[in-house]
Amino acid sequence: MLRYVLRRLVTSFALLILGSMVVFLLMRVIPGDPTITKLGGSIKEVDKSTLEGIRAELGLDKSIPAQYVDWVSGILHGDFGASYFSQFSVTSLVEQRYGATLLLAFMSMIIGILIAVPASVAGAIWPNRILGGLLSGFAAVGIAIPTFVIGIGLIIVLGVELEWLPTQGYVSFQADPVQSVKSTLLPAITLGIGVAAATMRILRPSLFDVGSSSFVRTAKGKGLLRRQVVVRHELPNASIPAITAAGIIVAHLVGGAVIIEYVFARPGLGSLLVDSVYQRDYGVLQALVLLAVAVFIVTSLIVDVLLGFIDPRLRTKAVT
Amino acid sequence: MTATLPETATDVVLSVRDLVVEITVPRREPIRPVRGVSFDVRSGRRLGIVGESGSGKSLTALSLMRLLPPRARIAAGHVLLRGNDLAPVSEREMARVRGGQISTVYQDPMSSLNPLMTVGRQITEAIAAHEGVGRREARERAIQVLGDVGLPQPARRIDDHPHQFSGGMRQRVMIAMAICTNPDVLIADEPTTALDVTTQARIMEMLGRIVEERRMGVILITHDLGLASSFCDDIHVMYAGRIVESGTGAAVLSTPAHPYSEALLDSICGLDRDVERPIAAISGQPPLPHQLPSGCPFHPRCAYAQEVCTVDPPPAVAVREQVAECHFPVEAGTA
Amino acid sequence: MSTVVPTVPVESATRTDSVIRRLLRRPSGALSAAVVLLLVIATVGAPLFAPYAPTTLDFAHLFAPPSRDHLFGTDELGRDLLTRILYGGRTSITLGFAATALAMGLGILWGFTAALREGWFGEILMRAADTLMAIPAILLGLVLVAAFGTSTLSMVVILGIIFTPATARIARSSLLSELRSDYYLAAVSVGASGRRIVARELLPNALPVLVARASLVLAEVIFVEASLSFIGLGIQPPDTSWGTLLQQGYTNLYSSYTYALFPGFVILVAVLALNVLGDNLQKVLDPSQS
Repeated sequence: MLRYVLRRLVTSFALLILGSMVVFLLMRVIPGDPTITKLGGSIKEVDKSTLEGIRAELGLDKSIPAQYVDWVSGILHGDFGASYFSQFSVTSLVEQRYGATLLLAFMSMIIGILIAVPASVAGAIWPNRILGGLLSGFAAVGIAIPTFVIGIGLIIVLGVELEWLPTQGYVSFQADPVQSVKSTLLPAITLGIGVAAATMRILRPSLFDVGSSSFVRTAKGKGLLRRQVVVRHELPNASIPAITAAGIIVAHLVGGAVIIEYVFARPGLGSLLVDSVYQRDYGVLQALVLLAVAVFIVTSLIVDVLLGFIDPRLRTKAVT
Repeated sequence: MTATLPETATDVVLSVRDLVVEITVPRREPIRPVRGVSFDVRSGRRLGIVGESGSGKSLTALSLMRLLPPRARIAAGHVLLRGNDLAPVSEREMARVRGGQISTVYQDPMSSLNPLMTVGRQITEAIAAHEGVGRREARERAIQVLGDVGLPQPARRIDDHPHQFSGGMRQRVMIAMAICTNPDVLIADEPTTALDVTTQARIMEMLGRIVEERRMGVILITHDLGLASSFCDDIHVMYAGRIVESGTGAAVLSTPAHPYSEALLDSICGLDRDVERPIAAISGQPPLPHQLPSGCPFHPRCAYAQEVCTVDPPPAVAVREQVAECHFPVEAGTA
Repeated sequence: MSTVVPTVPVESATRTDSVIRRLLRRPSGALSAAVVLLLVIATVGAPLFAPYAPTTLDFAHLFAPPSRDHLFGTDELGRDLLTRILYGGRTSITLGFAATALAMGLGILWGFTAALREGWFGEILMRAADTLMAIPAILLGLVLVAAFGTSTLSMVVILGIIFTPATARIARSSLLSELRSDYYLAAVSVGASGRRIVARELLPNALPVLVARASLVLAEVIFVEASLSFIGLGIQPPDTSWGTLLQQGYTNLYSSYTYALFPGFVILVAVLALNVLGDNLQKVLDPSQS
């Protein structure tokens, strides 16, 4: 198992390097001169020496490989470079913002799983048409409904009408854990519904397929109750494709977080990303895209390790 | 109603009477792969049900535990466990019967074990489902029973996963799982089809010893008439959803009464067979349940078929020691 | 030469015919097709169906709730919301069609090239598509907005690019399955040229699968366009789309719930109907289902 994890770690690291190169090149290729952002105006009115000065300050006068090396070595020292727009460094901007996003992602993941798994299991235990139709309907609508529509709906009902939960802003977890969770609940439910729908769309067909396999018949033949057959035998086997597809669910989460932070006015990485696009702040944009790439690579690493824990066949294959 | 003799009636653990299995097909008439099957299983005796694929033998086995696939159902007839009809029994009570009083060993040991669970856990789970025993005791019982089925070093291998065993060893695990609760009836559904011949012989020998010791009634479902006749006391030959011949293993093997049984025997290539006679494959295909031939369903493939066979369903007639459903049962000496 | 090439278009026409019939036999297929058709007709023909002109202001009725005069109520300038949704839908749907067409065109080119060029070149093309597909659509959209800006034309290009890789993957697999078919071998054996076979035979046969795919792409394009416009990085006022309407409704949430509610509902209905339609088309086209 340890060797299996180590090997995956090495692959992940290689992928991360590759990913950073792709992100870096992408940012050089796309049109738009970052120095304009820095100057906040048109390039024509600026004399050449000022421009050169700024370019030198941002390190843009060096060759592209040299710029890349600068960037990466900076990141390795915890320095994500300078924002082209604000006075803060990218690192400090990310530090200010990541808490709100992390808590949101974590809570919506939990809420999504708490909805999807029991609902799918219930659908497998009681295979009747009405329940099945309701669950499929929920999954189809949950996928199609834009997150901001759910968000606005929840704000109207739970926030404005019932006044149960705060609808805007974020209290940091370090400052006040209870208030922090409370201020995250509404956006997390919003995102969680989408996560639940995405999970159910994979988990339910997979449960259905597993239900007709031979070992499930064996389990029934032992005299286990329907509930035991589903929970002990069907669910673990059916969860393998769902966990494998976690990347899709995380993609849903990241895309949703960007919008949700805007709706609920949360100062997170998503809203930082939106701001950086507004301001053409390529320094921040580049760092955030790299962060997103890293999130996906780490997700796939976690997925593989998790699969190794669940599926003994993977563990032994890695040893031999 | 049946030919059960009074003095052996108490031995009967499982009786099947006029069982009909129906499969619903969307926008069509339901099909009937099992059309009126009756037999008895006695404790300590072994019954073989022999037939080609599609004869209805596996569906018969599944219906005994009420584990038919979703669209199939028992449309008529009774399954009596020690005289109690299982049809009206609730799903919860049925769970107690499954694995408790009737157990099944399935065909494919590769896919019949849960790949994510240790074999020990899969066995203790079966024990725990029927007996209120503690964790440690269940584990000891599992080691014991794994040893009984001939698994080497059971105490060491109990925490291994199915993929770490060979096909033959997996099938031993399956058997251990089926017998760990000492059921009254053991159904073995093609238990050795997926295995090579030497493994097959060893497994069948071990299975015979176990059911002997524990006095279980056995139903062996197989397409292999040779295997069935060497293992079983009694043989039922199934064709197109009906038992077309029944008798003792020795009698069916030496002097088959139904032309189909005879044809099945002829298609076996054994060392002890008469080398002068050609090995004959049965011509044609077994009929599909939704387009059964009229009269005797075997007539299109039968060497002895006459006019009446295409019109009237054959009666059950006593021939020597057997019963056969045939208009013109095979005379002794021709086979 | 063309006379000896086995003729497929006839077969393909009957196939399309039966696909439509089988689609309409499924309740969810018929319903979703009807909703999509209704939405397209109502929005593209907005000037014909809208009860008011989109610029008619009514300062006496700001943020009016739904009434007989204004079925969906009015906005912050007293404009009829139903009218604005129909006109906004014109932008959303035409932009959606344009971006989908672009994604399909580029994707088919990409996928077919990958299918026909086996070996390392095709392999690289598909790996690139897989990598791009792993990036969430919104994220990729934001990066592209930073690069190309937010004009309507850039929106078409941006949305088209986002969904090109996924289309390339489908196009490649559908072409590969066609390449294994008998009539392709027949066409090759009589000496038809590669390009001719692709244009005359393979494309028409792969088309139904791609149409099903287009329905799903259109749903996603509308979804992403609405998302980008909602955060102010999509369609820019004074142009109106469903996303900008929702955004304005959201800004005025405390004045009128219905202002945000109706655009949101229409987006949901459109995306859901297109998704269900696409799913149904795929099921109808999948030979294992029939």
